[in-house]
Amino acid sequence: MLRLLFFICLLALAVCAVPSLGAADPVKPPVAPVVSAPLAVDPVDRDVELFNPNVYSLDESGHGPKHVTRSPFTDPASDIAREVASVTWLSSLIFLPFLVLPLLLLLYVIFKFRDTGDGRKPATFTGNHTLEIVWTVIPCVALVLVSIPTWFILDKMEAPPEKQKDRMAVRVTGKKFAWDYKYLGIYKDPKAEEKQEIAVGQFLGIQEPLVLAKGRTVELHMTSDDVNHAWWIPPFGVKKDCIKGRDTYAWFTPDTIGFFKGQCAELCGDGHGLMIITSAVVEKPDFERWLALQRMKDDTFKVWTTIQPPAGTAIDDQALREVVTGFLAKGRSPERQYALRYWIACNYATLQRVPPPTGVSLAEVFGAAKGGGATEIAAAIRVRRAKVDVLLQGLVADLGPATESTIAGSSTAAIAVPGAQP
Amino acid sequence: MTAAAVMPPIPLKRYTGVMDWLTTVDHKKIGLMYFWFTVTMGVIGGFFAGAIRVQLATPGAVIETIQAAHLAGVELPFNLFSENRDLFNQMVTMHASVMIFFTIIPGFIAFANYVVPLMVGARDMAFPKMNAFGFWLLIPAAMLMLSSFFVQGGAASSGWTAYPPLSLAGAGHNPGQDMWIMGVHLAGVSSILAAINFIVTIASLKAPEMKWRDLPLFAWATFFTSIIQLTATPVLAAAVTMILLDRNFGTTFTIASSGGDPVLYQHIFWFYSHPAVYIMILPGFGAISHIFAAFSHKRVFGYLSMVLALGCITLLGFTVWAHHMFSVGMSPGLAYYFQVASLLIGVPTGIKVFNWLATMWGGTIRFTTAMMFACGFICLFVLGGFGGLILALVAVDFTLTDTYFVVGHFHMVLVGGSVMLLFAMTYYWWPKMTGHMLSEKLGKWVFWLMFIGVFVTFFAMHLSGANGMARRVPVYFADFKFSNYLTTFGYFLTIVSSLLFYLDLFLSYRRPKVTEDDPWKINDVQQSFEWATSCPPPVYNFVTVPPIPVLDQMSDGHGKPQDAVADKPQDPKPTH
Repeated sequence: MLRLLFFICLLALAVCAVPSLGAADPVKPPVAPVVSAPLAVDPVDRDVELFNPNVYSLDESGHGPKHVTRSPFTDPASDIAREVASVTWLSSLIFLPFLVLPLLLLLYVIFKFRDTGDGRKPATFTGNHTLEIVWTVIPCVALVLVSIPTWFILDKMEAPPEKQKDRMAVRVTGKKFAWDYKYLGIYKDPKAEEKQEIAVGQFLGIQEPLVLAKGRTVELHMTSDDVNHAWWIPPFGVKKDCIKGRDTYAWFTPDTIGFFKGQCAELCGDGHGLMIITSAVVEKPDFERWLALQRMKDDTFKVWTTIQPPAGTAIDDQALREVVTGFLAKGRSPERQYALRYWIACNYATLQRVPPPTGVSLAEVFGAAKGGGATEIAAAIRVRRAKVDVLLQGLVADLGPATESTIAGSSTAAIAVPGAQP
Repeated sequence: MTAAAVMPPIPLKRYTGVMDWLTTVDHKKIGLMYFWFTVTMGVIGGFFAGAIRVQLATPGAVIETIQAAHLAGVELPFNLFSENRDLFNQMVTMHASVMIFFTIIPGFIAFANYVVPLMVGARDMAFPKMNAFGFWLLIPAAMLMLSSFFVQGGAASSGWTAYPPLSLAGAGHNPGQDMWIMGVHLAGVSSILAAINFIVTIASLKAPEMKWRDLPLFAWATFFTSIIQLTATPVLAAAVTMILLDRNFGTTFTIASSGGDPVLYQHIFWFYSHPAVYIMILPGFGAISHIFAAFSHKRVFGYLSMVLALGCITLLGFTVWAHHMFSVGMSPGLAYYFQVASLLIGVPTGIKVFNWLATMWGGTIRFTTAMMFACGFICLFVLGGFGGLILALVAVDFTLTDTYFVVGHFHMVLVGGSVMLLFAMTYYWWPKMTGHMLSEKLGKWVFWLMFIGVFVTFFAMHLSGANGMARRVPVYFADFKFSNYLTTFGYFLTIVSSLLFYLDLFLSYRRPKVTEDDPWKINDVQQSFEWATSCPPPVYNFVTVPPIPVLDQMSDGHGKPQDAVADKPQDPKPTH
């Protein structure tokens, strides 16, 4: 019987282990990350990696994720999360005796008072008022001890962050199964943009990250378009439900540069598990550059659709020339040129993560030969991006350097090209 | 009570065989039917859990590989639910519903049904026919819920909490959700009927010599549980009725755009469902006191504070519901109140734990399987309770709510708590219920596999959650690979344990009958009547009401008469 049981346990272990062995060696994405030139890294590619990294990237070993989930308690990444983590550890410490003491007592009782058959008579006491008062009062004291710090942190989390001078607000809208972010109150100069709001969400079929600036407080106003969702990135230490018809609120100040991920935390339907949340925390200058890039996103979209026609269609060179000329006609500052190059690269990085339409292989989407692997795809993308670069250079040279009038139509927020920075 | 008062054995049986079971109003037979119903439902609920665990065992469903598989143009390496993603949510929903409404709650009712009338010296429940009706309602309730897998749109998939607007989705096209609501209604009616029956039985049918101060703790616990069931279950019915009306009759209780409020539903739902967790543990609290006393061969320590603690938990249980929904965005003052009230429940619970330890202190402890399950219960329950204390803190709860930490916590207290208690109660009362002993040898295996399995399964869930894994997800980031692997491994241990347990249940019927009334030889430390009649008891339970074995519960143990009673082996056998 004993052996049989042991065998059953082993079997269970094996059943358990088989699928996870497979998992230890996951299917490697056949697509390599955006390949950059080995010597001089194109600043555009660096920005793409900064603002739009692939949440699915694997680390060097190819086994684990490159962007790991940071534990909210050991690895917090915002001021709120740090306080929550410390109050958690403090409370755990206060509660710990109530976990350890009963277990130790139980062990002691089990060994000390087991019936050894020596004829010992059991004790007959059935109560002890002093003891009973002690183990009623001491937990109450612990309760009070824990309640005090937790009130202050709760009060801080729920009140608006008026002490924080540098702050912005984002409207978060959950919908099946993606997130819309609208940046509110970041327009210091009302004339800067004509009604163009900065909104990110699902683009080209992929969830765009919520980009935040390190050290700048963000207030999240959350709601939902359909069913309940909950917005949660573990190391930020806040989670709120997004409920249609309600406006929930949370704030935090990210204090760690990095790329963070989470999942929707309220059951919302069959895509619940795929409703991921990402956030990139960058330095403030990088954040300003990202804002400026966002403002020019729509302008670049025509060029994008021309350089990336539906799979199986050739690029219309004449049309491409026209749209790039049209883009430059609205302004040809270096910032605008940079934005165009950035968005083309960024969209290519995104498109590589999207499953191709049925009947089309991924390679064909980018104009590579059918059956082409990661290298072929990367090469095909490089060719298409180079097309735009060459056109830009030629056209700008033809048109001459930018003047006051040509800059007028463009964004007043300067894009500090990262390569040019000290 | 003289021998002249002996009741002649009336022919209570009208039928024999299957018809006897179908028509019986005998609380003992109904109790056994509850028990086997519970076991069956436990198997089904366990199967759903298995489907969930197999899906989550591997990062086969890991998000990274989904993308990789898309790119490579291959099917996912391992995904049970690739054809029907909603099926995973149906599994989650039905696992919870089956386990809560048809396994744990009726599980305790099974024992209460069998044992409480015996304990208080009654011949049956106060309303025997209502008792039978209550049981038979559970069958259509379970059939409604389970058969909904075969209707258009499948079973309910909005979680056992059925939060709107998700539970309103697809109204008219997925009758599974409506069937789920009907099932909940029927189970609720069954629960209310049982509650009324227990309250009246305990209040009015206890033996004349037995005063409230002598009431056995299991009867007290059943009494308090019944009060919760009676007062909270109608509220659940109201909540799910709102969903039913919103889905089918055009009302807008929970539809924000028409003036309703989805959060209102959550409040009403949890007003039942928080007390419901006490429905699922309080009877066990009562029963475990008997088991500790029995196998330490010592009377229960602090009887009065045990009863008061049960009462406190019952009352406080009604005042903490919103700690399940801190993240909906409530005012900090309100949230803080719910935090303090939730923490406060830890105090009476702690009193009970310390009282159990004090009951064992100085005793002569026999480690029967029932006793081992009771000790294992303390370990796991204290651990689960620790997680509960952390979760009660609002600021921390914002991070932990709706994660696997919560899942780990409530499984640790429901499986490590309630289910371990049900095992302990089964091993303890099985000879009384069937006249056959369960195997102590096999029982040790059942215990150790279950104990280790439950610990591994649910402790690993705490780890997943604390590291950032959301709950109710069919796919997750590979960061949580290891803890999920552990969880699935633990699941298989508990399954092996359960199979051994079921085997033992069947094998026990082939063992010789117990001849004594009190096979554990514990009656001198019990305050109840159930060991003073044969195993299993006759249809009429007692011919005459037996003398109360231990007279005064509230004595502090220093009085002479009680000591004399406790020291002297006595045999309070009824004269039938």
